Amino acid sequence: MVRKSKGRQKIEMVKMKNENNLQVTFSKRRTGLFKKASELCTLCGAEIVVIVFSPGKKVFSFGHPNVDCVIDRFANINPPNPRQHTDMQLSEARRNAIVRDLNNHLTQVTEEFEIEKKRTEDLKQKRKNSNMPENWWEEPIEELNLSQLTEFKCGLEKLRKTVTTEASKNFQAIVPRHNFYGGSSNNSTFGICDDHAGNIDTDLDLYNHQRMVARNTFACNLNNMMVPYHITTPFGNIGNSNIIEGFTPEYNQNPNKLCFKQEHMSECDHHSAHPPRFGHGYY
Amino acid sequence: MTRQKVKMAFIENEFSRKATYKKRKRGILKKANELATLCGVPVGVIIDSPYDLTPEVWPSREDMDNVLSQWQRLPVMDRTKKMLNQESYLKQSISKATETCKKLTKENKELEMKEVMFDCLSGKTSPPRIEKSDLRGCGNVIEQYLRNLNRRIEILSKNDGASSSSVHAAATTSVAMPIVELGSSSTSFCDMIRQQQIQSNMNQNVRGLDLNQQQW
Repeated sequence: MVRKSKGRQKIEMVKMKNENNLQVTFSKRRTGLFKKASELCTLCGAEIVVIVFSPGKKVFSFGHPNVDCVIDRFANINPPNPRQHTDMQLSEARRNAIVRDLNNHLTQVTEEFEIEKKRTEDLKQKRKNSNMPENWWEEPIEELNLSQLTEFKCGLEKLRKTVTTEASKNFQAIVPRHNFYGGSSNNSTFGICDDHAGNIDTDLDLYNHQRMVARNTFACNLNNMMVPYHITTPFGNIGNSNIIEGFTPEYNQNPNKLCFKQEHMSECDHHSAHPPRFGHGYY
Repeated sequence: MTRQKVKMAFIENEFSRKATYKKRKRGILKKANELATLCGVPVGVIIDSPYDLTPEVWPSREDMDNVLSQWQRLPVMDRTKKMLNQESYLKQSISKATETCKKLTKENKELEMKEVMFDCLSGKTSPPRIEKSDLRGCGNVIEQYLRNLNRRIEILSKNDGASSSSVHAAATTSVAMPIVELGSSSTSFCDMIRQQQIQSNMNQNVRGLDLNQQQW
């Protein structure tokens, strides 16, 4: 097995020669050291302070309960007085609860990451195993010649058409004809949250988009209080109840600022600061 | 080397706790030493616990005092800018980890959509059968692929001139490409390619026949 990187090789315990490597090493090892310190505090309830100066003369510090407190005690600057003691105990209890939650959260995220990593492995393995020599288009683009590329392009463009047609079949919501994403004008049949690199926004799936459309439909029809009876969603005709159930419009003084109580705040709400830009190429 | 994963919580068992403390303290000091040596920077560590009579100081009291005086010479803002306690450190870790995880999820989704795209091309599946929630993602991947294809075509056409329309004999015909409408029919890209191959083989056979006739 060919080694791709220098990882897990023994290194000499002397100052590193390469400036860039030194900087990177510093960064990584400092983070690791702080991680170990944090773990020690959680597991054993120790108090600790770590002070590190960077090659660029900046200082990084980690302290539990906090840097100044431990340093002061060490230097005997502030002998703790008895009245402070109970206060400290209370705040310590609160701190511990917070840290406990944070640790759990971190563990959870790390586990999710491991799962995703495994998924990447599986997907890559699947690609390797599924090599059918007659499917030349599955080879990397660099290995194709010009005529293959042109043919491939042709076929892909046709595929794109059918995919687009399929996708637009799924959208038959009642949409007001004027701007419904305040500001952006478009005639697309559906919105695409897509940055210019054409990357997929996994947060914004079709269902959430449907709710965004319905929500904005409400926004436009506010004055008339017109409630669409019938919204066709990608998942078939859901009658009045399901979509609207999730929405309890609260009307405040300013009709432009509607706030909707939604049961499941989708991640796409974070995107409300930038109205979705509609990608090109969908016709 | 698989070990048991340690639960990140206060160790209830006193003996385990003390043992863990001793081991991990040693480990931290070792790591601090490595960091200081490899990067040639001042490092100071103080560890205190019920298990130690006096706080553990590294590298030594004098060195620590030097570090501390260097520390105190700094303006308060510089000291606190990168100061962390458990809470802030953990929050930082969580956001870093979440971001990396999100990125990876996105990449995995793209890989998955690429497979769907290939399956469509080879006839294993077709757009009507794609999961509705995947349609947009698939469309985006197709878009991306087309962009790369076009870029590559541009590069090759520029460098080309006459030489490279050297055709890959097995894959294409010398006849103009038949444009087969994929549209609603179930003809996949893959079938189209095979038809061309069959076509080109037939052409070659025909030529072969002619030659034979000429020999007569």
